[in-house]
Amino acid sequence: MRTYILRRLLQIIPTVLMITFVVFVMMQSIPGDPVVALLGDAYTEEDAVKVRQAYGFDKPVMVQYFIWLGKLVQGDWGNSILSGRPVLKDVMVRLPVTLELIVLSMGVALIIAIPAAIIGALRQNTWADYTATSIAMVGVSIPEFFAGVLLLLVFSIGLHGLLPSSGWVYLPGTCPTIVCGISVWGNMQHVFMPALALGIGRAALLTRLLRASMLEVIRSEYITTARAKGLSQRPVVLKHALKNALIPTVTVMGLQVGFLIGGAIVVETLFAMPGLGTFGIDAIIARDYQQVQGFALVTAIAFVVINLIVDLTYTFLDPRIRYT
Amino acid sequence: MRRRVVLLAVAILVAGVMSADAQKRGGTLRVSYGNEIANLDFTTAPGYELNWVAMNIGCGLLGITPDGAFVPDAAESWTISPDALLYTFKLRKNVLFHDGTKVDAAAVKFSIDRILDPATRSSMRTYYEPVVHSVEVLDPSTVQIRLKQPYGFMLHMLAAYRMGLLISSPTAMQKYTLEDRKAGKPEAVVGCGPFRLVEWVKGSHLVMDRFDRYYDQGFPYLDRVVIRVIKDPVTQMAAFKAGEIDFIVDFSPEHVDTLKAQNPKAQIMTGKETTPMVAMMKITVPKDGKPMSKERAPHPIFSDVRVRKAIGCYGIDRKEIVRIAFKGQATPWVGIIPPGTPDTVDVTHLCSYDPAKAKALLAEAGYGPQKPLTFELLTNNDKSIFNVIATVIKEQAARLGATVHIRVIDKVSWLNVVTQDGPFDMFVEDLASLFTLDQNTLLSTSTAAWNMTRHTDTKVDDYYARYAREMEPGKRKAIAKDFQEFMTDKLYWNTISGSPFYEVAQPWMKGYVYQAEWKVLYKKVWLDR
Repeated sequence: MRTYILRRLLQIIPTVLMITFVVFVMMQSIPGDPVVALLGDAYTEEDAVKVRQAYGFDKPVMVQYFIWLGKLVQGDWGNSILSGRPVLKDVMVRLPVTLELIVLSMGVALIIAIPAAIIGALRQNTWADYTATSIAMVGVSIPEFFAGVLLLLVFSIGLHGLLPSSGWVYLPGTCPTIVCGISVWGNMQHVFMPALALGIGRAALLTRLLRASMLEVIRSEYITTARAKGLSQRPVVLKHALKNALIPTVTVMGLQVGFLIGGAIVVETLFAMPGLGTFGIDAIIARDYQQVQGFALVTAIAFVVINLIVDLTYTFLDPRIRYT
Repeated sequence: MRRRVVLLAVAILVAGVMSADAQKRGGTLRVSYGNEIANLDFTTAPGYELNWVAMNIGCGLLGITPDGAFVPDAAESWTISPDALLYTFKLRKNVLFHDGTKVDAAAVKFSIDRILDPATRSSMRTYYEPVVHSVEVLDPSTVQIRLKQPYGFMLHMLAAYRMGLLISSPTAMQKYTLEDRKAGKPEAVVGCGPFRLVEWVKGSHLVMDRFDRYYDQGFPYLDRVVIRVIKDPVTQMAAFKAGEIDFIVDFSPEHVDTLKAQNPKAQIMTGKETTPMVAMMKITVPKDGKPMSKERAPHPIFSDVRVRKAIGCYGIDRKEIVRIAFKGQATPWVGIIPPGTPDTVDVTHLCSYDPAKAKALLAEAGYGPQKPLTFELLTNNDKSIFNVIATVIKEQAARLGATVHIRVIDKVSWLNVVTQDGPFDMFVEDLASLFTLDQNTLLSTSTAAWNMTRHTDTKVDDYYARYAREMEPGKRKAIAKDFQEFMTDKLYWNTISGSPFYEVAQPWMKGYVYQAEWKVLYKKVWLDR
């Protein structure tokens, strides 16, 4: 097991290198010179040349990439071109916000998906199943920004500011800056709508998938055997059927992390959250290459690590699975 | 008589004390910006968002009121020599920087010399370099600025061009690097204004606290100002409605009616537009194909003034654009100076919508069914209104038989194309706000780096020079009028309308004075909750 984990962790290196390289090349190949935006109306060609030299933009793309990589190995993630702020410091400020959002959206998705899928599978072709499936279909069809705006209108405007519309309050002990709102209740209030907006779509997808798996599993011989042995419905469903049905669902959950990071960009912008999603999109829009690389690096690592955790949960769900 | 004077003085004193008592001290003002601050180096960072912060952290020699009167700031008085070449400022003796050092004549000289130094890369150098000859320290509290030639806008420039002249602390400037200032290190971002920087977390918030040793004792009233960036107008409105924010700077005009309906007590502030919404047409292109080349060739379509006037003047129904894109909340306008800028003249009647005249001009220029006119309209996705305007122009051009292809790109790419002499036919954008006509030299003289249409007519430069050197306001106004008519005739610059600027405040925010994009000052703001 330890060897397997180590091997998987080592696999992160080529994956991350590949992702950061592709992102780097793509960013350099799209039109738009950040130096023009940086110098603004004080732009002169002479100054632009000096700034490009200072940031190494006058060098070939491959050289620039290896310079960035060389610094990265030494723990230097570089400074943002526009703000001059250290990229690593800003990433560390924003990462907890996005991680919490992603974890809670996945939580929201599971809280909705598991009961809906079980009901749908156990009462196949009844009104309960149709309701669960229809809701799932609606959930899949609603984009995050639309769900977010609807939630804003209901909870922040319609219900007289029941929930805060924007911003962030940190959990105690996690404030990374001098001035922070800190409160557990405040944090829950701030994360509720974004997590729901992001989680609804995933819930719908997982419901459909889990329902299909459950339908397959409950028709298996071992479930029939369990019932024949006199086990009640509850342990049959929760202990035997659900556990096995969850395996493909867990795989998809891991892959969904990528979509969640993409969705976080939209949701964080809408709810004005200081997370990694807004950090990434702002960087891409401004052609802030250093910041984009920081974003790509951290999301790639997050994606690979979360998928590793997903793989490891297989051993819990199915003890026959052994990693060597 | 003497008794009457004493009574009057006592009455004024009592009234002053009473009105001062009415203002409540303390509290945190929660502000929302729609765009992120680029960085915190006051000298080089682009964008209004930084200006609105800098003018609260920094102090200058003088300020300006909404009606255009100059008022003392760190300078308690000033004199101008009869030949208008020497400006002498007497400084207050009790002004301190946030780092505890004194604001003196040497600091003022240091600040202006820094702007003039090309190595600083200050965006203000464009204005200072042609007029400022030297700065001399006469004594620790007297500084004299010598000009190269008379300049009618010296005080305007010091008070309000960009953020106005903000006096830098030589100690902090020498101790900290440009990167420290850009990154918003509080010790490096030092001013002498009513608020001091506490923290800037990009993408999250900026916090300023009251500077307790501010020279103007009693100000500011607020303890703290917290600025957050909320990009989505719907979220901004929700946060405002829920009372999470007190003040929105630069509120989207399209949403004003909705916000009014949701918050009948909100203070919605606006004024005559000082920013032009333009549809600029390229006049020349590089002869050798190299952008910014001095060798110019005529633009294949819009170098012909008949085509420019057909499309940009008689072919654009400005009223329709304002009705559709701005929901009527802007002024249809043609002149190079927006409706709210001093010395503006309404020359819109010179370009009244006349499709028949436009078609005739196009025919005269050789366009018609045999040779249909087709051009590209470039815009960016920074504001949705640009695309609405582009679509209306496309529709209006179609009525003339012209085909318009709209190309929408992102703001950085757009900036690269239009400011770096890239290929475009026409673009739609709202450009920099104009405090004075003189300020527009940056964008429209033939030699300006940001002369985006790349016209080469030196008559434009002559108009600007005459206007700037004329010290007599009446004569200056006459030059401005001639110039606006000239520009409308040549259409080197094509304004569509004013671009409105809105600020929205909660009913409990008091003491704020609307000054368009020029000044967003929190010094006298207080909260009546």
